[in-house]
This record gives sequence, C-alpha cells and structure tokens, in this order.
Amino acid sequence: MSPETRKMIIPLEALPEVGGHIQTIDGQDYLVLNDAMFTFYQRSQGEFSAFFLALRDKKKLLGCKCTKCGIVRVPPFLTRCPDCDFAPTETVEMGDVGRMLCTPPITYFANSLFQGQVPFGRGRLVLDGADTALSINIYTTKGILVPGIVKKDTEMKVVFRDERNGEITDIFCVPASELTPEQVAKPGLLESELDWEAAVEPALGAPTADDEAKFNAGLAELSALAEEMKGAERARRDIAGWHRVVQVKSAGGFLVLEIDDGDLRVRQGSTDKPDFTLVCTDISTLVNGMAYRGSLTQAIITKDLWISLNREFTTIFKLERMARSLARTKKV
Amino acid sequence: MSRRVGIVGAAVTPFKAKWYEKTYYELAQMATAGALKDAGMSVKDCDAVFYAIYNDIFERTCIPEHPLQGILGMQDKFGMRVSTGGATGAYTLSAAHAYLAAGRFKTAIVCGVEKATDCFDFMSMSATPEVIKVIGWSGDSFFEQKIGWTAADSYAEVVLAYMDEHPDDLKPEITAQISALLSQHVKTNPFAQRQHDQVTPEEVMNSRIVVYPFKELEICVYTEGAAVLILAEEETALAISKNTGTPVVWITGVGEANEHSFAGKNHKVMPRIMSDHLAAYRAYEMAGIKDPLEAIDIVELHDAFVHQLEITMAEMGFCPLGRGDSLIEDGIITPGGKILCNPCGGLIYSGHAVGASNIMSAWSGRNELIARGLRRALVHGTGSTIAQYGAVEILEHD
Ligand SMILES: [Zn+2]
Repeated sequence: MSPETRKMIIPLEALPEVGGHIQTIDGQDYLVLNDAMFTFYQRSQGEFSAFFLALRDKKKLLGCKCTKCGIVRVPPFLTRCPDCDFAPTETVEMGDVGRMLCTPPITYFANSLFQGQVPFGRGRLVLDGADTALSINIYTTKGILVPGIVKKDTEMKVVFRDERNGEITDIFCVPASELTPEQVAKPGLLESELDWEAAVEPALGAPTADDEAKFNAGLAELSALAEEMKGAERARRDIAGWHRVVQVKSAGGFLVLEIDDGDLRVRQGSTDKPDFTLVCTDISTLVNGMAYRGSLTQAIITKDLWISLNREFTTIFKLERMARSLARTKKV
Repeated sequence: MSRRVGIVGAAVTPFKAKWYEKTYYELAQMATAGALKDAGMSVKDCDAVFYAIYNDIFERTCIPEHPLQGILGMQDKFGMRVSTGGATGAYTLSAAHAYLAAGRFKTAIVCGVEKATDCFDFMSMSATPEVIKVIGWSGDSFFEQKIGWTAADSYAEVVLAYMDEHPDDLKPEITAQISALLSQHVKTNPFAQRQHDQVTPEEVMNSRIVVYPFKELEICVYTEGAAVLILAEEETALAISKNTGTPVVWITGVGEANEHSFAGKNHKVMPRIMSDHLAAYRAYEMAGIKDPLEAIDIVELHDAFVHQLEITMAEMGFCPLGRGDSLIEDGIITPGGKILCNPCGGLIYSGHAVGASNIMSAWSGRNELIARGLRRALVHGTGSTIAQYGAVEILEHD
C-alpha cells in the first residue's frame, strides 16, 4: 500500500524535518537540533493474547478467577494469584455492563498523541461479577464530556469499535442511561449502533440593543488586547508558529480572530473559510477568557462557549496561555 | 547496629523551564561541584555516587548516568542509578542512606538531574504535550498507555475517588489558597523556576482546567535542573562539620512503600494514598516520632498537584483524612502555623525536574532547618500511576 493509504503507527504530521535552530542567550549562540528517539516493535501479547483476541474476534471480555480465593480480575493481568501463593487462575467470560469504581477524570489538555481526542474520560469500570477494575475510555453520546455525567457507581456499557485490532482501544464505555434497554442487553454492542448526537451550532436570537452594546464593548477590548500583543514578547511566544482564522459569533454581532505566528488580529464581521467557529450568546464570555478574567476551557465545559471542532482545544489552550502571559506582563 | 548518616553538603542548579545553555552532563557537574564546595570536600574524598534520574526518554539515552561517572570525577568507584518515577529522588536518598548506614561507604554523592523539556511536539509546536507523552510511556503498556494514561489523569483518579468519599473536602477555594501560599513561599528561593510568579487565589480559581479536577495553577511545572547532596556516616560527618562549621543534618528516619498498580478489591484502594501513609509511618517509627504534628517543623512535600498535597498531608498524619482543608482552615500550614510546608515553593513553583525534585526538597529542608534553627523536617516523594510509590525521609538538626 502507498504511504497515503497505510495507517501509520506514528502520524506523519508528528514527524519533524531534519534541521534545527540557533537559540541566542546573553549574546551566546546555542544549537538546538530536531531529533527523535524511535523504536519499532513486533510486540508479543503473550498470556494476554486470549483477552485481546476475544475483544477483536468475539467482541467479548475475559477475566481470570483464582482457583483458591475466587477473586475475579478484569483485565486478566496475571495467570497465578499472588494472594494465594500463586495458585492458578482460570479464564472466565464476563458480561459487558458494570459500574464505575470511582468518579473518572476528564482530560482537556492531552499529550501530543491524544490532542485530537479531547475531551475524553478514562476511568475504572468494575464489570458485573468482577472484583478489580478495568481501565477504560469514557464517552458520552450527548455532546462534550463534562464533569457530573459519569460518577462513582454510574452504570456503564462497554461498546466495541467497528474496526478492531486486538488492542485495549477496541473498547470504550458510555453511560447505560444513554442507551435503550435493548442496547444495554445486547452483547457486543458496536460503536456504529450508537446514536451520537451531532454537533449542531447553537442558534442565536435576534440581537437586542443590549447585546449590540456588549458586542461593541467586547470588540473594543479585544482590539486593544490585540494592540498590546504587539509588544508582549512572552505572550507572542505562546502563539508563535500558529496560524488560525476563528469565526466568533455572538448575539450582538460577529467577529473574526486571526492568530498568525505571534500576531493577534481582530476585526468585525465574517469570513467564509474559518478554521473553526466559536459561538457564545454573550461576547464577554470570550473577552473574559482572553483578558484572563475567566477560563475559556471552563466556558466550554459549562456550555457558555460552543466550539465547532474539539481538536481545536489546542488553539483554546494557546489562547489561554497567551492570556495569562499578557496579564502577567501587565502585572509586572 | 547501623551507623548514623547525615547530610554535610548540598547544592542545586537554577531550575529552569529549559536550559538551552547546558546539557544534563554539565547540570549534574555544576550541582555536584556546588555541594562538594558546601561540604569543603574534594570529590577524591567521595566513596560512592547514587544517581537519581527518572526517565531515559527525557535524557534521550538509556543508562543516562554512565557518562556522569567520569564527568563527576567518580571513575573506578561505586555508581548506581535509581529510577522510581516521581519518587526517584526520595528513593535514591534512601538507597544511599542504607549503604552508608550499613558501613559499606563513609561518604556518598546523591545526584539528581533531569533534562525534561528537550522533547518537543511538532504538531502543536510546543514542548508540554510531548513532555506529557514521554511520561505517558510510564503507564501500563498493555492496558493503559493506548487509552491516554497520563500522570495527571492517574493522580486525578485518586483525588476524585477521595472526593467521592469526602465530598466536602478539597474545596476549590482552599486548593486555590494553598497554591497562592506556595507562590509566596517561592519568593525566597532564587533557584526556583517561578520565583517571581506570585498568584492570588482568584487567579488560581480562574485558571483553566487541564485534567478535571486539576487547574493549571494547581499542577507542578516540568523543569530542568540538578540537585546534589553529600552524605557521610557519623564519624566522617562530624569531622566534615567541624571543618565547615555547618551543622550536620541527620537522616533519622526512612520509609518507603509501593502499592498495587491495579485497583479494586484486595488491590489499590483508590481513595487512599497508602504509599505515602506507610512510607511516613515507617519513617516515623525509625525516627521515634509518635505525633508528627508536634514533632515535625518543616514538610517538604512532593506537591505534584495541590489536591494530592492535601491528601498526602492527611495520610502522613498532619490532619485527619477528609479534613485536608483544615490545613488552611485551622491554620496548620498558614504563616505561623505548626507546619512550614514547602518553604522552597514546592514543585508547583520551584519546578519539577523529576529525578532532582525530591533532592531539591531535601536541600531546602536541610537549609531551612539550619537557617531557622528548627529541629525536624520531613522530605517526601510520590510517583508512578495512581500515586503508587511513596518515600519519606526525616531530617534532624540537633
Ligand atoms: Zn487467590
């Protein structure tokens, strides 16, 4: 297969080019080289082969049960029970419904491999009949995952990816309450059988005079902020090398934010090819975040700010870091 | 009967977000030269070196300590590296202590170093996502790495499990106040990455959520730097002290514990950090401490996250479990309180140069005991998935 159609272990866009740059500190030049430390594997799955093959080929979850104390471990991460002087365990077939051992965290700022997937949850699911917890990704079918949807003891259903490779990523779970009773009862439920709520851009009502006044004040503050950016070295670094055109829609009016390698530009109106769109009824939601009086991430979590592409959380983080740097510059 | 072991010299390099000017070779050498100078010693007088380096991928080499042996002037002598996640520094100190207490060596260098932010993510054109990814290689490679395990989300699991049990503790106003307090402490640490980054509780409250429930200003920052201690057994330590005029700070208690990495019945108890609890109480037993709140003056705690700082303080007996907020509400760690917590600013403001961090904490604990004429300090390290590893040392100044 050509490189374009092969699914690569390392995404091509993650790969640096051969090269480097000079960093000058106190008049002295220091060399910084682009580099990578890479190792490829044909990695044995050994005693876990049955577990991963069952995920891939049978859409089933396996556990192991100690022949002496009876404890059921899922995943079956050992073959002998250390609590019983290494008595053998036996493979047991599990169901795919369980409850959360504890409230799971939600990642909004991910590592470089997961930036396209934020926000996502990862928690510990105790399958019915199991004693130990399975680490698993958590999603909601109802928009962005926010705190409060999945908690300790929330009943969850394991869902299988349509395309499976015999990896732990073949499965994830969603709250059972978001499914029909038939779906919860169905063994080996597939991702494609779920009803994912489509991301619909929120509608904005007709603007009131108050909305328009707010918009004008917000636009003025953002414009002043963009002006301050010109001399704010630290804040400029936070958006260095980054290029995005963002359409912002609020009840009082539309504006375009342009991030351009350290420069920030703001203008009233619309653009026909934005990289992504932000929608907020009250423009001050955006302005407060940009002025470091509030958090844009928090506004997205509370649904005061809508974002058209989750992967653009990366841009949100850059804007928030920029906002903090700018605020610090002003404080000093 | 084991021998008494004490700290006779200590030094750190500046902790910086990135050291373009130096590799980890020179950072290690800088701090070692500084610590030997502090002890009035030549490296020729050192019998052994213990390296605290967490992650091979950060240093971009396996067995990263091997070039340091000769660079530090320790060729043809004992050299051993310890790597136990975030607890690397505290564990390395405990290993060095054991060799000296057993009489194997009279003196030892404990050298922690980390070059954590050379790694770089070319997609977001920033270092942090790649730093988090590198640490992500520390998660379970069969069941957790591929689903986005990170140090932050695994500690968040423990914190949220604790909050399931104690919903009224770890209030956002309190975690914000603790972060603001640490940002005041850091003002007097000229080696800290964020010495001049003072924040208000409101700023902490307004900072963005990185991994729920952690906000940006409640998380330690990754740093590059080195920290070195010179240890000596009793007789040698007293001779060195006589020469330098600096009192010996003795290591009177050491304790460690690693929990299960899987959770559930008979496994890791998610709402607890038993590793910290067991490590601390083992160290107390060795040091003859009955009531830590009365016996200990300074706590240099590995504050990976403010919430975890509160739980760890409770696990170590400075407040009840479920009442972590009493650290502020009852004034336990506020100025004038019973415990001076993280006078260096903690890892949140000094920076987390992983292998060097706990050794930096010990450097601070030792210096503060001497400078303030106080009696006992506790040094703590936590690490691995779901706060699995814990190590604690008690330092004593007579
Ligand atoms: Zn058993």
